[in-house]
Amino acid sequence: MFRVFAQPNRQLAWIASWTLFAIGICVYLRTAQVRHIENPEDHIVPTVKQLVTGFVHSASTPAEEDDEGQLGEHPSVWQRIYGSMLWKDTAASGKRFLISIALMFPAVLLGLHMGAFPWIGRFFIKFVLFFDKIIALSVLPILFIAFGIGEFAKIMLIVIGVAPTIILDSFNLTKSVPTEQVIKGFTLGAGDLCVAYHVILPQIWPRVLNSIRLNLKGIVLFLFAGEMIASQDGLAYRIALLQRHMGMDLIIPYVLWTALLLFVVDLTLKVIIRATNPWFREV
Amino acid sequence: MLLLTKRFLAFFLISLALSAAASAQQPSFTVAWSIYVGWDPYQYMAKTGLLRKWGAKYGVTIKAQRFDYAPSIDAFTAKNVDACAMTNMEALDLPAASGVDTTAIIVGDYSNGNDALLVRDTNTLGSLASKKVLLVQKTVSEYLLERAYVLNHADDLLRKVKLVNTSDSSIVAAFLNDSSQAGVVTWKPLVSQIRQSKGVTTLFDSSKIPGEILDLLVVRTEVLNRPDGSGQKFAKAITGAWYEMMDEMSGADADKVLSGIAAVSEDTLPSYKEQLSTTKLFYKPSEAYAFTTAPAMKEKLGLVRQFCFSHGLLGANIRSADDLAILYPDGSVQGKGDRVRFRINASYMQLAAKGQL
Repeated sequence: MFRVFAQPNRQLAWIASWTLFAIGICVYLRTAQVRHIENPEDHIVPTVKQLVTGFVHSASTPAEEDDEGQLGEHPSVWQRIYGSMLWKDTAASGKRFLISIALMFPAVLLGLHMGAFPWIGRFFIKFVLFFDKIIALSVLPILFIAFGIGEFAKIMLIVIGVAPTIILDSFNLTKSVPTEQVIKGFTLGAGDLCVAYHVILPQIWPRVLNSIRLNLKGIVLFLFAGEMIASQDGLAYRIALLQRHMGMDLIIPYVLWTALLLFVVDLTLKVIIRATNPWFREV
Repeated sequence: MLLLTKRFLAFFLISLALSAAASAQQPSFTVAWSIYVGWDPYQYMAKTGLLRKWGAKYGVTIKAQRFDYAPSIDAFTAKNVDACAMTNMEALDLPAASGVDTTAIIVGDYSNGNDALLVRDTNTLGSLASKKVLLVQKTVSEYLLERAYVLNHADDLLRKVKLVNTSDSSIVAAFLNDSSQAGVVTWKPLVSQIRQSKGVTTLFDSSKIPGEILDLLVVRTEVLNRPDGSGQKFAKAITGAWYEMMDEMSGADADKVLSGIAAVSEDTLPSYKEQLSTTKLFYKPSEAYAFTTAPAMKEKLGLVRQFCFSHGLLGANIRSADDLAILYPDGSVQGKGDRVRFRINASYMQLAAKGQL
């Protein structure tokens, strides 16, 4: 059964891969039950009913700081969801997240140029290597001076935290493209930029996307840190607020919701990589 | 090798047996405290042997353990520590609201200017409308801000203020370095740091709401009511130790004691004294007892409870503020009689006042 060449059959493999989930859920339910028998008002490990109520509540009613009356007399289901706390927070965090992802692409281009053009490489590489080792969170006061504490600061925190990794990765990927191919490009009459953009970039592109994919967690980590430090909305803002009175009945749904969103983004990127680069099989 | 293992095992078993024997003789209690002007004495009490002395008198072992503030309350609510220093607001919205019956045995002090609303480029509450105010939301900071507006009859303007939830670890830098932030609500020593900056004025502080933000020592009621009576012994011991500490802090050698306290919390004597100046510390148990049993106590705690309720801090299963009832020293209950979750017990302070500890 535990051989390297073992071939699990479909049903058993399915069972095997869900076992830990089942155990986790059972342990949770058991803990919740025990704690609620001991103390019916327990907040720390909410029951499934409390979790569902919490989720429905967050997805159908406006946030506490918003006006209850903004929805009008008889809002439709969609209006309710659109005006809800969960949607508001997801939209706020989502916006920051997407802007940050978009800002990773200039980082890729910088890495490409650094790898392809030695002078640009020499100019930037030491600095980027140095910056890569700076823990963005530890120099927060400087970031506050430079960027304030608004939206811009949160996005900059993510960019400073994650972009150096992406730049270095694209740089290394560019370096790893065989010189023969570059020379071949030139013999076929390509210019410098043409080699960079038409020979090197298409080859490293799926790997670069994959690198961004692997850094999604870093992006979200910095996003959450930023929102927990100072903000007026967002998924982490809500979690930080709820933590203050142990509102685990809302925190757990928020955490699962964030995990789901991250999973969907990850899957989407994976599908895009597969679809646009059918030759690439590393994902 | 085998011999070593055997020896180790024997040693281990003996030490286990010894510690079991010790704990069988003397029940042990842990007090969680966090850095704050009114709680820093706990560490000093542990260091100078006051806790040991009073523990020995009542046959209990008392340990003081430092936490960060939020984790200290989490540990208390999770029943990992027996007693914890916290404010009245947190006592209501964390342990009590989570169904952990909680009793306050020492009312140590109240904030008399420790918490403040500081603003730049303005001097009226009205002009903060549609501007940003930094604060740690859902804490005494937000309570203070709300009280500032209510006391100035400007409740309707409060809704227009944009609150930015800002972590206390970065609130000073965030406010001072970003001049687009109109105001900040926080506590000392952060307040003192911000006040040093130019153009910042204090618009409101907790000296205008004396006795509403209380700093307490709370014990889990089940610990206090242990059938073997050890909980009550613990309460007597810690109260006795506390008021001996208070005597030392206000006595002839006060400066030496205060610098000792400041040192354990990594503060300086001038800074600690400055914080004490805006803290109404009850040095005499009789003062604390009189304050705790005064009728005004109910009114003030009622305001805090209402705040917690209207901000949803009491949790989803609390339908009205009365679902979280408070038992006062005179036996009266604020809220539903069958839902008492928070008790103010002045009897230990009374014993201390009478010198019967």
